[in-house]
Amino acid sequence: MKQFVARVFDPLLDGLADVGRTGWFFIGLLLALPRGLTYPRELLRQIWFVGAKSLIIIMISGLFVGMVLSLQLYYTLSIFGGTSALGTVIALSLYRELGPVVTALLFAGRAGTAITAEVGLMRATDQLSAMEMMAVDPLAFVASPRFLAGLIAMPLLVAVFNMMGLFGGHLVGVTWLGIDNGTFWSNMTGNVSVWKDVISGEWKALAFGALVSLIAVYQGYSAPPTSEGVANATTRTVVSSSIAILALDFVLTAFLM
Amino acid sequence: MSASATANRDPAADPLVQVRGLTAVLSGKTVFDALDLDIARGSVTAIMGPSGTGKTTLLKHITGQMHGAAGQVLVDGQDVVRLPREGLYRLRKRIGYLFQNSALLTDYDVFENVAFPLRAHARLPEDLIRNVVLTKLQAVGLRGAARLLPSELSGGMARRVALARAIVFDPMLILYDEPFVGLDPIALNQVLKLIRTLNQELGITSVLVAHEFEAVREAADHVHLIAGGKRVASGAPEDLVRADSPWTAQFFGGALEGPVPFQYPAPPLARDFGFVGATA
Repeated sequence: MKQFVARVFDPLLDGLADVGRTGWFFIGLLLALPRGLTYPRELLRQIWFVGAKSLIIIMISGLFVGMVLSLQLYYTLSIFGGTSALGTVIALSLYRELGPVVTALLFAGRAGTAITAEVGLMRATDQLSAMEMMAVDPLAFVASPRFLAGLIAMPLLVAVFNMMGLFGGHLVGVTWLGIDNGTFWSNMTGNVSVWKDVISGEWKALAFGALVSLIAVYQGYSAPPTSEGVANATTRTVVSSSIAILALDFVLTAFLM
Repeated sequence: MSASATANRDPAADPLVQVRGLTAVLSGKTVFDALDLDIARGSVTAIMGPSGTGKTTLLKHITGQMHGAAGQVLVDGQDVVRLPREGLYRLRKRIGYLFQNSALLTDYDVFENVAFPLRAHARLPEDLIRNVVLTKLQAVGLRGAARLLPSELSGGMARRVALARAIVFDPMLILYDEPFVGLDPIALNQVLKLIRTLNQELGITSVLVAHEFEAVREAADHVHLIAGGKRVASGAPEDLVRADSPWTAQFFGGALEGPVPFQYPAPPLARDFGFVGATA
């Protein structure tokens, strides 16, 4: 019985302890951020690495999500005779929900894992210790630029995802299913609010960018210096980020409604 | 025998590094048990000892990467255990550290690796950074490799680049962790020559952790042999070989029997094989 309880609760306690350690790491990271800004070259390099290099996957995914949305919503709306609202519903779904959430999940899979593996290998090959020995704080030089890059790149990637999603939705809805082009755009522009819908999605993007970057950097930073340790840390980044994104999405949606 | 002018100098006379009563426990194992030793200013001092005896750990204590349970580590009169972070970083700017695996930044080429400390700490014009970096690379014979990536370097070349990076601020102290491991005789002699040159021409105090006695005999003025958490012998390399001590006899003679056991500490063999009640 005791073993059963331990088997059930130990992973739970380990998970809670990990959340606590991530919190402590976040405080250290925030304190190191001003010094991190003194390395602008590294920040630009990381924005390129996590942002620009994620563009292709974000654009392709956005296009297909928009196309599928258009097909599914056309079917649903046709039941109620409301296909003229297709543009509005696609735009609201993308701006308010799918854009930030799907982009964040893709960002965790593409950039988050890359950050964890890179930082974990830097730990395993003594590069972080070498920086310490050169009197360079790895929190400022390694962790801060990666965290800030995620914060900057995510809202931009979400904007690109949304744009491609609208393009995909228009392609299917107007070109293929025959919705009137003017109706598609005029209904959308008439019913979508920049502040309430577009900007609230960008707030989510900012929060998800911070969350995924924090988890990715922390997992890499604390990975045991072994092949298995780095591999496990990379897996944990995807799993923890995905759960955290969905949980935070619920909280943010409730607040931003 | 080392040609250094500091040969056979008494390390206690003008110590740059003083370790006093250092006690350290790692994973339940006592690594250092009230360890005392001095490193003389301007000397090349080798730390030798059996594998797993804490030689690299000692370097980490000297640089404040690790802290012991008790004792003092003084570097140039400053207690690294008590130094605040800023003070420790100020001290580390005057210390070069050569990692066993070179620890080059893999995303940067050779030039940028050597320039890294300069860019991080000194706001220098690009021309000056270029001149300093190329001068250091010339000193280690790798000016022509400035644009190669670490993945394109051999082990010996990577170690020389790490050495160029370690001396870019002209430090007072360089710590070499296993600088000769895995090097062919030519590369080993190149690193050996560099250690001696840096010591003799720039007066840099050097501490090297190594197992290769022939190389140590060439490079070092003084050797500390540590085993069982304590300093068990000290002296010039030639003197230690001749010393009448079971530790030096076993270590330098490579004997299987002696104070350093072949077996890692373990419970009696009979117990592991399940003979309950039997004695080993």
